[in-house]
Amino acid sequence: MSVVLRVAVASAVRHAADYLRLLAADERVEVVGVVEESSAPAWVREDSRAAADHAGVRYAEVDDVASVARALDAPVDLVAVCAEPTRHARLAATLLEAGHDVLVDKPVATTLADADRLAEVAARTGRTCAVVNRTHAPALRRLRAWVDAGHVGLPRHLDLELFASGAHLATSVERPELVVDPALSGGGELLNFLGYCADAAHYLTGLRAVEVHAFVGSLFLEPHRAAGVEDTAVVTLELERGVTATITLGRVPYAPGGTATTSSVRLLGSHGHAVGDDDVPAVARFGPAGRTTIAADAGQVAAQAYLRHVVGAVLAGGRPDYGIEEARATLAVIDAAYRSVETGDVAVVRHEHTKEIV
Amino acid sequence: MTPPHDPVGITLVGTGAFAREHLTALATLPGADVRWVVGHDLRRARDFAALTPGARATTDLAEALADDRAVAVDVVTATPTHARDTVAAGEAGRHVQVEKPAALSLPQLDAMVRATHGTSLVVGQTVRFQPAVAALAAASRRGEIGTPRLAHVSWYTGHAWPGGWRGWQLDPELSGGHPVHNGTHIMDLATWLLDDEPAEVFARGFRTFSPDMDSPDSFHVQLRTASGALATLELCYALQRRGDLLRRVVLVGTEGTLAHTTAEEDGLHSDAATAPPPSVDGALRTQLAHWLDVVRGDAAPLVTTAQVRAALATALAAQRSLLSGRRERVRDVPGYDRGADDRGADDRGAAVGAAVVA
Repeated sequence: MSVVLRVAVASAVRHAADYLRLLAADERVEVVGVVEESSAPAWVREDSRAAADHAGVRYAEVDDVASVARALDAPVDLVAVCAEPTRHARLAATLLEAGHDVLVDKPVATTLADADRLAEVAARTGRTCAVVNRTHAPALRRLRAWVDAGHVGLPRHLDLELFASGAHLATSVERPELVVDPALSGGGELLNFLGYCADAAHYLTGLRAVEVHAFVGSLFLEPHRAAGVEDTAVVTLELERGVTATITLGRVPYAPGGTATTSSVRLLGSHGHAVGDDDVPAVARFGPAGRTTIAADAGQVAAQAYLRHVVGAVLAGGRPDYGIEEARATLAVIDAAYRSVETGDVAVVRHEHTKEIV
Repeated sequence: MTPPHDPVGITLVGTGAFAREHLTALATLPGADVRWVVGHDLRRARDFAALTPGARATTDLAEALADDRAVAVDVVTATPTHARDTVAAGEAGRHVQVEKPAALSLPQLDAMVRATHGTSLVVGQTVRFQPAVAALAAASRRGEIGTPRLAHVSWYTGHAWPGGWRGWQLDPELSGGHPVHNGTHIMDLATWLLDDEPAEVFARGFRTFSPDMDSPDSFHVQLRTASGALATLELCYALQRRGDLLRRVVLVGTEGTLAHTTAEEDGLHSDAATAPPPSVDGALRTQLAHWLDVVRGDAAPLVTTAQVRAALATALAAQRSLLSGRRERVRDVPGYDRGADDRGADDRGAAVGAAVVA
């Protein structure tokens, strides 16, 4: 392994611009290029090429992403999979089988069966399968430190909220269909956002969700309504040991904060309570537009922290603290939420194929 | 110039902690003339009456109802006697304000509505009169966020509070269970803000300090309305410190979002005492002043009986869900379907359902 991590991107249609920028800014990383499947639709190939051009790196089209190093004519240590979600699992499994470590955008898969297959491949090949998540967000890390220090006693309940401003859909998402067309996204905002919240509940308590109840709706945005997918959901989790969590999420017209995506957690414990808000710290600005807020983009901050962690772990020959097993456990919660919506009642989380996660 | 009104003669029924607060607030209103205090303990009733010049004490509600100058009855007792006393007062031709929850069942409530058909019935949903809630609702009614479609209310308060954990309150048979007893506040808030009929609920609870208690000290309810609007409603009476209050309300509409949190209200910091945040201050006095306006015919009730019925039905459904662990339909609550006579009576005040306190 070189002291510089040589990173390639396999498909660059979703979040690739952000990840390429963040990776390129890491002094330990050399971004070697982007590959796209030659069988992909023209718009996919155009978007991947544009992402490569924008980043100033090589672009190649391949019949099989396993040939990424040959196509880019460079050694590759890690491949970031930034395809539409319905291709994530297949591309990642192919790359793992070819002996590459991978970093997969979320959601890692759009079905539990696909996640299981990917987990099996990762385990069999012994390669790293990291998955983008938000557990490195400073607000969440702060909360976890307070929990670990015993400051709130026994955690009893968490209330999580995550909203993205739909008013920015045209600019915050590369193409709206990437989050509303089930053929590309695999589902609606439940699939897109619930993982962040389920991750947070597990990260803060060390407890798995065992039962889920969910209501969903297409309440606000025409693209979601037209595609027949939810833009909003309210979810409750029963975690192990009787701990509970409420989750309110969605892509709504205007998120209640100073940034385009807002996220907060309220944690109730036996001996105290605590709040983590991604919009904090913030500075108020007063001007012709009234009061506005200056705060960091929490999604970018969390992604940067996790990507740097992955780079460090792979360079050191170790494993990132969040990978396919954690992502599979979270996808099981999402799977249960969709089954709850379908049956109109609570749904048990299918953890049977998940390895023990401490 | 409008001539001043004669004071409204009032019979206060109840001698508990909250009845004392009513008495104290009524004493500050020039339009109120408390003529009777009714309690089961005559000495205690006398102590209360002594706080208001001219008031007499009795253990017999009929004696107070025989006083033609006491045209209004304020029922501030434990829930099981609300229906009995309200019906008696209504049948005696008196206007009634009754503490929340108005009743333990829908048939009880319907009987109360019928009995006061010739006068007025107001339910003490004090939260509607809190300055921040009133302002938030007024903004929504003005159309500032389009159509409200999603509510998220997190409401946590200190476990230690006066008169909060009496035996009857802990008995679901007498209090209706926690979603009914205290939950009526948050159910009413949600149905009022969403301005829609709740259709389905799911509830979970947890017991912070007393694992064997029938009633959880904390619970959450997720609901869907007839039009598909959604809400996450959390109520926790288990914060560690006496006087602590954290309440956060987010109301998302089709064209904007309204939010308020007590966390942003700085106030008293002292080891000697706590003070309520400005957003909740003075609500009871405003509520009682509004009631006097209703009695005099100067205002229609802000809290309509149709809304009271919807909130009570939702709370009863939430209690059923808490016990069953399943999603429950509000229309399955016993007594939900009723005759045309009840429906007609229940519509009183519906035309001002959109009114807010100035």
